[in-house]
Amino acid sequence: MHVSTDILTWTAVILTLGIFSFLWKDNPFYKFCEHLFVGVSLGYFISLTWYNAVYPDLFRPLFVQPLSEVSLGNKLLLIIPLLLGLCYFCRFIPRVSWLVRFPMAFVLGWGAGVTIPAVFQTSIIKQMQGTFLTPGIFARWDVFLWAIVSFVGVICSVFYFFFSREHKGALKLASETGIVFLMVGFGASFGYTVMARMSLLIGRFQFLLRDWLGMIR
Amino acid sequence: MKFFEYLLKIDRRIIYIVMGVLVIIPLVKPLGLGVSSGPRAKTLFDAVDSIPAGKTLLLSVDFDPSSMPELYPMLAALMRHAFAKDVKVLLCGLWVTGAGLADKAVTEIPPEYGKKYGDDVVYLGWKAGIDAVILGMGENIRNVFPTDYYGHPLESLAMMQSVQRLRDIPMAVAISAGTPGYTDWLNFAQSRYGLKLGAGVTAVSAADAYPYLQTGQLTGLLAGMKGGAEYEVLIQKNEYSKAYMPAVAAMDSQSLAHVVILLLVIIGNVAYFATRKRGA
Repeated sequence: MHVSTDILTWTAVILTLGIFSFLWKDNPFYKFCEHLFVGVSLGYFISLTWYNAVYPDLFRPLFVQPLSEVSLGNKLLLIIPLLLGLCYFCRFIPRVSWLVRFPMAFVLGWGAGVTIPAVFQTSIIKQMQGTFLTPGIFARWDVFLWAIVSFVGVICSVFYFFFSREHKGALKLASETGIVFLMVGFGASFGYTVMARMSLLIGRFQFLLRDWLGMIR
Repeated sequence: MKFFEYLLKIDRRIIYIVMGVLVIIPLVKPLGLGVSSGPRAKTLFDAVDSIPAGKTLLLSVDFDPSSMPELYPMLAALMRHAFAKDVKVLLCGLWVTGAGLADKAVTEIPPEYGKKYGDDVVYLGWKAGIDAVILGMGENIRNVFPTDYYGHPLESLAMMQSVQRLRDIPMAVAISAGTPGYTDWLNFAQSRYGLKLGAGVTAVSAADAYPYLQTGQLTGLLAGMKGGAEYEVLIQKNEYSKAYMPAVAAMDSQSLAHVVILLLVIIGNVAYFATRKRGA
């Protein structure tokens, strides 16, 4: 057992124990650690955004680099994102707060235009293709079985969300079968969620036992 | 019946203590339950294994310290696998708070295999505008990242001479803790530029990733700490690494914790139905 002498490790240990103290009950020590985490995260985010994006891509070419390095055309082009970015801050000035609609319109328009076709292709078209029963599924009995299960699961789950008609008769049977598939899906998600939370707990204990106390490798 | 009523009123703090003790014991004294590798991890392993020497594997570090225990072992194992096969590694990230984690990996792992920064590994860093970054990389990586994370112009890095855009990269693995993450790589790189894509995800988001695996949009999947452990086992079994395996070391605790949770769920349900019957 070799207890760490590193001040940063000790800082992390104190903050970890502070967050863990919430398991007993809410307390000022926990609140301090929580607020510190939020503040540091935001400060880190702002500084990295400045040094990785705003300064090298906007501020430096626009204001620091001479015309011999960045052409006048490029400099003028950069004024557009600068103005759009500044419009976000108009939100804090009531008289001109409406200006914030310009960057938001740009972001929403661009975002929707770029994202909708891509998501449609990736999550709808390809997934529908994956559900089709093609001749290839007869190659092996297990492939055939799982293809049928997927097909029935998708159809019945979609029927569950069909609200234009009362769920009775065949529609009721299909939608109730869909519920079974949905429950299996939620169960798998819950199981994985438990594993994720446990992994994070184990990770913290590994830090405490290894990096701080030196009890494990 | 009083016993069942008592079971339903167990103080949550007692459960926390039991769970804490059961997680700590296997870490201090491993039980040696072992980890077997599943078909999804094997598919990813085979895909990385088949990248020709000298080519580049793109790793996207899309996570932050809060999901480090699950995802960092995957990143380390994938880098070790690539270096052992003489495959070059290009790193980037969609999470600004993960920038330091990729830097840690770039600093620690390449020296284990005698690999040099700039020749065998390059870390591009993070840029704002996720979709635009991926789409831009599909056209020309230099337009999006004129310099790497450390400020070196990409032209000055030997490895980047043969990597101009995503089509020059045979495979990428997105190690994602959520959004942005592997779905953005699927939408804008796999679908649009045909980039072969694998994924390493947190256990929370694993169930969402399975449909993409089934359609072949994802080539292999590592799910949570178990996925990381599976990959560690695979690279050790194939003698690509002799390094310490943090995910494998944690799996005994993971298994024990799951057994306890299963027991608690069963006990809770039995006690609930027993007391409900009496109440009715």
